[in-house]
Amino acid sequence: MKCNIRFIIIASACLMALQGVVYAGESAQDIAIPSITSAYTNGSKSYMLALNEVSSSPQKEGAVNAAQAAEFEPATFSGSNAHKYLGLGTLAMVVATALAPKPSEDAVTQAQKDEQESSMHARFGRAAAALAAATVTTGLLAHWDDFHFEDGLSDPDNMHALLGTVGALAMLAAVSQAPEGGHAGIGAAGGVAMAVAVKLTW
Amino acid sequence: MSKIHIIGALVGALIFNSTNVSAEETLWGWLADFQRTKEIKPATDNQYLKECGECHFAYQPGLLPARSWDQMMAANELKNHFGVNAELDKNTSQAILNYLVDNSAEKSYYKRSRKIALGIAEGEVPLRITEVRYIKRKHKDIPEKMVKGNNDVKSLSFCNKCHTQADKGVFDEDTVSIPNYPDWDD
Repeated sequence: MKCNIRFIIIASACLMALQGVVYAGESAQDIAIPSITSAYTNGSKSYMLALNEVSSSPQKEGAVNAAQAAEFEPATFSGSNAHKYLGLGTLAMVVATALAPKPSEDAVTQAQKDEQESSMHARFGRAAAALAAATVTTGLLAHWDDFHFEDGLSDPDNMHALLGTVGALAMLAAVSQAPEGGHAGIGAAGGVAMAVAVKLTW
Repeated sequence: MSKIHIIGALVGALIFNSTNVSAEETLWGWLADFQRTKEIKPATDNQYLKECGECHFAYQPGLLPARSWDQMMAANELKNHFGVNAELDKNTSQAILNYLVDNSAEKSYYKRSRKIALGIAEGEVPLRITEVRYIKRKHKDIPEKMVKGNNDVKSLSFCNKCHTQADKGVFDEDTVSIPNYPDWDD
C-alpha cells in the first residue's frame, strides 16, 4: 500500500515535471514568433485579417475597423506568475520529498531525532509545505475575482482553489505529524490534490 | 520504492505525453495534453479568418456556445449582422458554421471556454460576446471612461484594443494594456 502511494506520487510528479518541460518549449516558440509589425506578419494575410489591419483588405459597407493594440510587453513579474511558479515549485518539492532517502522512524536518542529533523526528506517536506502555503496565498491575492462560490464545483477555478487549499493543508498536516506513521499518506494525498488542481487550470 | 518503479513511472509519463499531445477532443486527450489550455483556443480556420476577420476581430469560436453561432450564421441573421449586411454564399456560410460549432465553448477544454459555457443558462442564446455572463463579470470593474469614453477603445467588442494577445486567444490580465491608461490596474 505504502509502495503504491509512493508510486502514484512519483508518477503524478513526473507528469507535472513534463508539463514544465512542455511549457518551457512553448515559451521558446513564443519568443521565436515575430512581432506584429515585423516583415513576416506583414506578409501573412491570415495574420493581417485576424488582426483587422486597415491595409489588409477592403472593408464591407458599414463595418467598423478594430485595429490591434499597440506593442506591449507583459510584465515578467506579476501576481499570477508568482502563483504559477510557486505552484510548480511545490510539485517539484513534493517529488524531491518522495525521492529523498527516509530517515529511520525509530528515533530514541536526541541525536537520532536531530538527524531525523535535518534529513533531506524532512527538509524537502517542510519546503513543499511552505511553498504550498505561499502558493495558496498568492493565488488568493492574484485571482480573487476568478472564483465564485455560486458557480459550484463544476467551475474549474473553484475546483482549482478547493483542491489547492486542501492539498496545502494536507501537506502542512503531514509535516506537523511527521515522523509519526501515516504522515506519508497525508502528504501524498496533498501532493496529488495539488497536481490535479494545477492540471485543471493549466 | 525500487528504481524499476521510478524508471517505469518516468517512461510511462513520457509515452503518455508523447502520444497524446495534440488530442483535445476527448477528456482523456485533455488529461494527457500538456499544452497550456487555460485561455481560449485560437481561431485558425483560414476561411473564417478571411471572411469574418476582414471586417472585425476574428472572435474565437470558444467565446460562444454552438447555439449562438448557429443562430448568428443563419441566412436571415447575416443579412443584418449587427447592423451590417454580412451575407455569404451557402457553402462558405456552412463551412464557417461547422468550424464555429465544432470549436464552440461547450465543446472546448480550454478553461475560459468552459467557464463561458458554464455561465450561460440552458436555453439562453447570447449573440453578443459582451453579454455573456463570464465576460460581463470579468469587465465589471472597468470604468466606463476607459472603454466607451476612450476614443481608442469605444466598446468592449474590440477585444484586441486592450487584450494585446487576443489574436492568440490569450486574455490574461497580465497582457491587458488599455490605450491612454498605461497605469491601469484592476
